[in-house]
Amino acid sequence: MRRVAITHVAQSSGVESKESLMDFTYAINKEILDKAGLKREEVGCIIAGAADIFHSGLSCANAFDWDGIGAFLKEGSRAEESAFSFIYGCMRIMSGHFDTVLVTALVKGSENPDNDAITSFYGDPFYLRPVGLNESAVAAMQMRQYLERYGITEEQCAKVVVKNRGNALFNPYAHVKKRVSIKDVMDSERIYDPLKTLECSPKSDGVVAVLLASEKRARKLTGKPVWLTGYGSSMDHFIPGDRDLLNGQLKTAAARAYKMAGIRDPQKKIDVAEICEPYAFQELLWCEHLGICSEGQGGKLIDSGMTQMDGALPVNPSGGVLATNPYPARGLYRIAEAALQIKGQAGEHQVDKKVRTALAHSTHGFGGQCHSVVILSS
Amino acid sequence: MGKAVAIIGTGQTKHGRRSDVCYPDLVRESVTTALQDAGITLKDIDGVVLGTMPSMMEGVSSTHFYFAEAMGALNKPVMKVETCGSTGQSIGHCGYYWVASGMADIVLVVGSEKMSEGDGQATMTTVFDPFFQRTFAAGAPGVFTMQSMEWMYRFNIPEDKGREAAAMISVSNHDNAMDNPHAHIRVRVTMDEVKNARIITYPVRLLDVCPASDGACAVIFASEEKAKKICKKPAWIKGLGFRGEEFFYGESDKAIWMSATEAAKEAYKQAGIRNPLKELDVAEIYNPFTYQEMIFYECLGLCPRGEAPDYVLKGTFKKGGQLPCCPSGGTLCSNPIGATGLIRLAEAALQVTGKAGARQVGGAKLALSHAMGGVDQFNGVTIVGSKL
Amino acid sequence: MSKEEHRIVKGQVMVPYELALGRTWCHFFDCLKEEKIMGKKCRKCSRVLVPPRSFCPRCFEDMEEWVEVSQEGVVETWVYVNMPFFAQELKIPFISAQIRLDGSDSGFIHQIAGIDLSDFDKVRERVKLGDRVRAVWSTEKKGNILDIAYFEPVK
Repeated sequence: MRRVAITHVAQSSGVESKESLMDFTYAINKEILDKAGLKREEVGCIIAGAADIFHSGLSCANAFDWDGIGAFLKEGSRAEESAFSFIYGCMRIMSGHFDTVLVTALVKGSENPDNDAITSFYGDPFYLRPVGLNESAVAAMQMRQYLERYGITEEQCAKVVVKNRGNALFNPYAHVKKRVSIKDVMDSERIYDPLKTLECSPKSDGVVAVLLASEKRARKLTGKPVWLTGYGSSMDHFIPGDRDLLNGQLKTAAARAYKMAGIRDPQKKIDVAEICEPYAFQELLWCEHLGICSEGQGGKLIDSGMTQMDGALPVNPSGGVLATNPYPARGLYRIAEAALQIKGQAGEHQVDKKVRTALAHSTHGFGGQCHSVVILSS
Repeated sequence: MGKAVAIIGTGQTKHGRRSDVCYPDLVRESVTTALQDAGITLKDIDGVVLGTMPSMMEGVSSTHFYFAEAMGALNKPVMKVETCGSTGQSIGHCGYYWVASGMADIVLVVGSEKMSEGDGQATMTTVFDPFFQRTFAAGAPGVFTMQSMEWMYRFNIPEDKGREAAAMISVSNHDNAMDNPHAHIRVRVTMDEVKNARIITYPVRLLDVCPASDGACAVIFASEEKAKKICKKPAWIKGLGFRGEEFFYGESDKAIWMSATEAAKEAYKQAGIRNPLKELDVAEIYNPFTYQEMIFYECLGLCPRGEAPDYVLKGTFKKGGQLPCCPSGGTLCSNPIGATGLIRLAEAALQVTGKAGARQVGGAKLALSHAMGGVDQFNGVTIVGSKL
Repeated sequence: MSKEEHRIVKGQVMVPYELALGRTWCHFFDCLKEEKIMGKKCRKCSRVLVPPRSFCPRCFEDMEEWVEVSQEGVVETWVYVNMPFFAQELKIPFISAQIRLDGSDSGFIHQIAGIDLSDFDKVRERVKLGDRVRAVWSTEKKGNILDIAYFEPVK
């Protein structure tokens, strides 16, 4: 298997864009190509990470996206979830066909209906949709089980918001930049009780691009390549009632990624993690499943301070999805942020420790129906 | 080329109006058939790739969730890849790259569509941008008609000649579909019937146009090692290419159609093909419209520009001709869009492995498959062969 | 299983969007209000594109130069649409056409009207590829693509 490196990263500012999606995309792709000193013609393959009509009002998202990602007459494709588009780009390099692949994930959340409306269309038209399920509703059910089964408190969940929103203040690319207290979170409206408004992620605009390269090309393109060392993904049952919402497929996805990366003790080995937490409590639950803490210990984990910016294993120094949620692009945001931490180029939100190995996680679907885990190393 | 990759099994549903099954069950039908064909079980599958046309077609978003069980993806890594009409080729390419990367040994690729459940033309219109072109869009027939008119005008093809050749394509595809138990439309038609059928968008008539079908297709890709172990006669991937043009219709020249031309060139280069008309034994071309099939012949290098009608009238691409095209009856007789490009690949694989039944082209060793997508924007090509 | 058991559930999906035009396209529609059709010129490949783009999809460079193109052009291709479908914006029958406006390097999609469209055979005699057409403006401007009401054949 050929090694694959992330050589460059570019991302849009978290501010809502007044530009059309096409121009919004172009600006970031232009930026990453300029950074790498490449013309678009010199890139081997170009892959978009975008979801179609429900996230854009346009069917076949790759059609409209094609110009902005610089793919005119280039070999290319599109994967719907941005972690998928990332790993697809990696596969293309591993296969030996390409030496460089540009992967771009994009969405303008500000133009779309809210996430609850969009995710309700994940439901089938006969059963889940008519009974009113969407991602937030299922997350709330999952949270209630989590609180009940392990005695996690709502305050412990609220602490995740305080931490991540606090981290976002130091990330120039974050969307929501406002410090909140535990009380603010606890007092915010209970929209899907026990979930409160401030525990749910916003809806953001975002374009993020990563340039991937084979080992030989990577060393020419950058002095600080970030290597892909592990990947794992797994799919759960469609109907939430068919699964244990507190024991889903993330463990399987993580086990696959750790095996590929040769990681036995993730808590020791991983220096920083970017975890996809569209709902605050999920960061704690996902940390358990990723082996960052043991089962039912998510509450203690946040209490311990270990996942704080200056802790032993910082989680979401970027502010995570609770601060910036360009839905289909958020997985690649996690990967890009993890890469920046390894490169030591995260700026003000660079963690205060040597980062050798970073974990990036992405999830989508009701209660985390599908998970992807990416391990990057220096 | 990287590691060798082969197709070791294919499965198709009976395409047509399938109101007898719900959408996930339709998907499962193709998956079960493909597993049986390969003689393996879900346990052997390392990953699953899914693709459909836009979710607006059936009104369910991100169908990899909905189909988790039906496509056999439970507890497995998945990929969701979509490129509009060319999705079928793109998911095939993803299956290829997944195995070629060494990250998986056996990958199941699934494409599906249930067009009877939505409004195909209204859906297609949402591929156009909402600011400039959607207002004037008339679904797929509108675009393909514009393209065909431009092509005939460019190469001074007399209207009668174009009409005659297109009618012949319709007749031979319908004849071929009689040999394909999966085909949606299975009726013989005559030249007169085609030429006098109801006008859809002039000069395109009803029998020049594909149906809207329900259907699914599954194809199983395996590494060289696994393929040799599991499968007596695998179909080897020899070359593949995918290209796209600008988004706005009208910016690129659709009579020449660079994306189709370049995608084919790339695939030929990898497969070491210099004279496709001579070297290929069979081609499964994405032909939702008879006139467009002729443009493809030219773009894919099967005949010189502007001469496709002559070649068609000579019978070059008919059953028994120099290069039989679409012995399955093609897209013209079955078009469950998300599956269609993969069906082309599955049919090509069946041909080079001698498993195509009544539609078998005798001794076929090298076959081309193709799909087109977007508003005439994307083209994908995959070439399969009987030899490694 | 009997036919009656093939039950169909009817439903409809409606989702609202608010899509940003951005500066370039905004300016294009503002100019339509003043009865001007604007394109943008790429300084690298020199192509003039209508609709204008903020960047050239081929050269991947910013397009900065605005160019007013002619309101007349050549019909590159057209289609007579007499096929109804859900949420169609224009009433059938109508003619969609690709028009190369003088001074531009891409086909502009709009409609041809201002002639009797009821009889297709007559329409075919009237509209030919390579014919010249010119823009006819709507009296009331809304800042959208139908500020150009249609293109009509130039006698």
